[in-house]
Amino acid sequence: MNFNIAIAGNPNCGKTTIFNALTGAKQRVGNWPGVTVEKKSGHYNHADIKFDVIDLPGTYSLAAFSAEETVVRQYLENDEADVVVNIIDASNLERNLFLTTQLIELGKPLVLVLNMMDMAHEKGLQIDVDTLATLLGAPVVPVVGRTGEGIDLLKEKILRVSTEISMKARSIDISYPRDIEIEIEKLHQLIQENDVNDKHSRWTSIKLLESDKQSRDEVRLHNNGTDILGQAKVSIDKIEGLFKDTGRAVISLARYGFIQGALRECVVESLVDSVDYSRQIDRVLTNRWLGLPIFGLFMWLMFKLTYDIGSIPMDWIDTGLVALMNFISDLLPDSMFASLLVDGVIGGVGAIAVFLPNIFILFSIIAVLEDSGYMARVAFIMDRVMHNIGLHGKAFIPMIMGFGCNVPAIMGTRILESRRDRILTVLINPFMSCSARLPVYVLVAGAFFPENAATVIFSMYILGIIAAIGSGKLFSRTILKGMSKPFVLELPPYQRPTLRSLILHTWERGYLFIQKMGTVILVGSVIIWVLGYFPTEVELDRDYGVERTTLTQHYDSGLMDLESKFKKSVEKDRSGYHSEMIAYESSSSYLELHEQLELLKDELSSEKSKQLYNLRQQEIGDITEQKWIGRVGKIFEPIVRPLGFTWRESVALITGFVAKEIVVSTYGVLFGVGEDVDEGSRGVISGLRSSGMTPLVALSFLVFTLLYTPCLATVAAIKRETGTWAYTLFSIAYSLGLAYSLAFAVTYFGRMFNWLS
Amino acid sequence: MFNFKRPRHKLHISDENDLRLSDLKPGEKGRIIEIGGSENFRHRLIEMGLTRDAEIWVDKYAPLRDPMELIVKGYHLSLRGMDAQKIAVERIA
Repeated sequence: MNFNIAIAGNPNCGKTTIFNALTGAKQRVGNWPGVTVEKKSGHYNHADIKFDVIDLPGTYSLAAFSAEETVVRQYLENDEADVVVNIIDASNLERNLFLTTQLIELGKPLVLVLNMMDMAHEKGLQIDVDTLATLLGAPVVPVVGRTGEGIDLLKEKILRVSTEISMKARSIDISYPRDIEIEIEKLHQLIQENDVNDKHSRWTSIKLLESDKQSRDEVRLHNNGTDILGQAKVSIDKIEGLFKDTGRAVISLARYGFIQGALRECVVESLVDSVDYSRQIDRVLTNRWLGLPIFGLFMWLMFKLTYDIGSIPMDWIDTGLVALMNFISDLLPDSMFASLLVDGVIGGVGAIAVFLPNIFILFSIIAVLEDSGYMARVAFIMDRVMHNIGLHGKAFIPMIMGFGCNVPAIMGTRILESRRDRILTVLINPFMSCSARLPVYVLVAGAFFPENAATVIFSMYILGIIAAIGSGKLFSRTILKGMSKPFVLELPPYQRPTLRSLILHTWERGYLFIQKMGTVILVGSVIIWVLGYFPTEVELDRDYGVERTTLTQHYDSGLMDLESKFKKSVEKDRSGYHSEMIAYESSSSYLELHEQLELLKDELSSEKSKQLYNLRQQEIGDITEQKWIGRVGKIFEPIVRPLGFTWRESVALITGFVAKEIVVSTYGVLFGVGEDVDEGSRGVISGLRSSGMTPLVALSFLVFTLLYTPCLATVAAIKRETGTWAYTLFSIAYSLGLAYSLAFAVTYFGRMFNWLS
Repeated sequence: MFNFKRPRHKLHISDENDLRLSDLKPGEKGRIIEIGGSENFRHRLIEMGLTRDAEIWVDKYAPLRDPMELIVKGYHLSLRGMDAQKIAVERIA
């Protein structure tokens, strides 16, 4: 036997804490079908009965005002839940009970949970729990979610309400003023006459008086639906005439009236000298002068911690991966399979896996900011700025995170409530220059603008911000117009986050990264590997084998020459040597000659290995040109030629689609410097310079790199968060288009005025 | 201190020269007379406890002067000046 339990409540009422306390770590996170609203479910056993628990999104009402409210309402109206557990913030009773009045009317077996009883006591509130239970017609359990106090009692109450018929009976109705009650009764009777199956006909009647669209649509399908709607219209007109306001406002007011009446009977506010700690903290944190600098400091710390602490395990993972690659290379014979495993799978997935520590640290810091209540303050502080782009203040967080990595940043848009805001923030996020783009800037700017590299790199960041703001303004005036919601933001009391919820939060999001990004990156890496591996046999214009032999022979004969020259000199020198005291081989003149020989030999052999290395790298470059990847580059070359790019840039940009850092290693391969070049590598720099690229084209290339689709992982994240391919494809097309047009403008106008040629 | 250039939002019963929530200074207290704006906006605010006759206390303005922080029914709420401008209030001591 099992029961379905739904947890409902306001945002910030501690719903998730109670959910965690009930289910422990046994929970799953998914999405509600059709909407990007997180669906959390879990289960627990009590008295040998399994309870499946769903944590509904936090809502203030059931008006179907937002995606969250629609989800909650549909779930509750669909009869899936056996018991609804309504979490109520005891320190903020009046507003929390507004949702409760609607849950009572919905008629589901209900358990009320008074959470944060400790804070209510601090505020000097004495709540008569038994009277409240009588007044609201449902059992009331006081708990402190953070400490787990009262959770056992809650489980017991849930069990009783699930199993005992008598506990389910609802004896009370929220009472409205007489004039409204008359109209409710008329509608109620009409609905019952026409559809006996409607289990919550009183609820439907009240919703009709509120002109609720969802209820109207449902009633329209009833027998005599038009009659009912006709009566509803008459009733609404009557109420609006009497109360001089809309039916919905009148009903809401009446609900608050009911709540106030109930609270007068069961809450005593003692005159303790209560201190509003949150307000004291906010005197500093959202202070007119200190608020912004402190926020800046927090953001700086967030970055610092993410990258500094993250770089330690990052090195471990890197070392581990190299060791693994070497181990497999040694273990397996040189084969296609070995290459696929080492270069394709481990190399490709590993390139992303090294970011895991950063991502987990970032997520845990964000969890602290969210759980403590500071995130709402960030929205408060930054709203003025974000409002300019038609966004909510909270959207600032994912934008800042984008400087680190767009993937967690895009996943971070979940903190936004409205779908329109989420999509807009997701779409402009890729323009925030992530850390993966920095190596490309360092390399190219170092090669072409050695004097002004820092300025060039900084301007890329600024250009990214301008592109994000400009696109944001454009989107909010065109494709995402008019869906904006008014800014009504609760600033909840500060709370000390619990370790348990931090770990759960971080793991939930980090796991999504591992799971989803892992699969996409894996496939992408294998594709790039295939393009770079096939065809296995390529025909080259130059015979590198012969050249290598010639080169080796040339240096070997040079070495032999040196030896014979040395011998001649020694003989000549020895003939002129007369001392009997010291053997010639110990004489200073011999030692000097010998030293000279060694020096020349060293020089020659280092010259030899350098030449051989260069030859090998030229060969790799030539081979790459013949591989599918090079051919693909050649195919796309005509498209990028107007920008001044060659097939090399085309290859670099295509491989950069997997991850932007790959642009650098691709250049390394193309210019024959080896796969693991560091960004300052002279080989790539001289290669780039000698490839005929002008500083102007280099600038244009940087602009393109900044603006075009960041990487496969970001695309996957966009798809995940927007939920549709339409926005994903739009994002790719838009960023490619913007990158192309701006890069073209740089090259075109630059050439026109002969800049940087 | 917070001067809105845009034309005042028209309300049903209040006239052009009455006091709006956005006119209150930090530390001042008001009683809600009427809320204007779109139906959704009005109803959302009413559902969050900004009912007629509710007392509302302006705590502070954000560092960039917008939005504002309010205390209503014992909890803290933030509204933009442009939205607070749609709420007619009377000043109370």
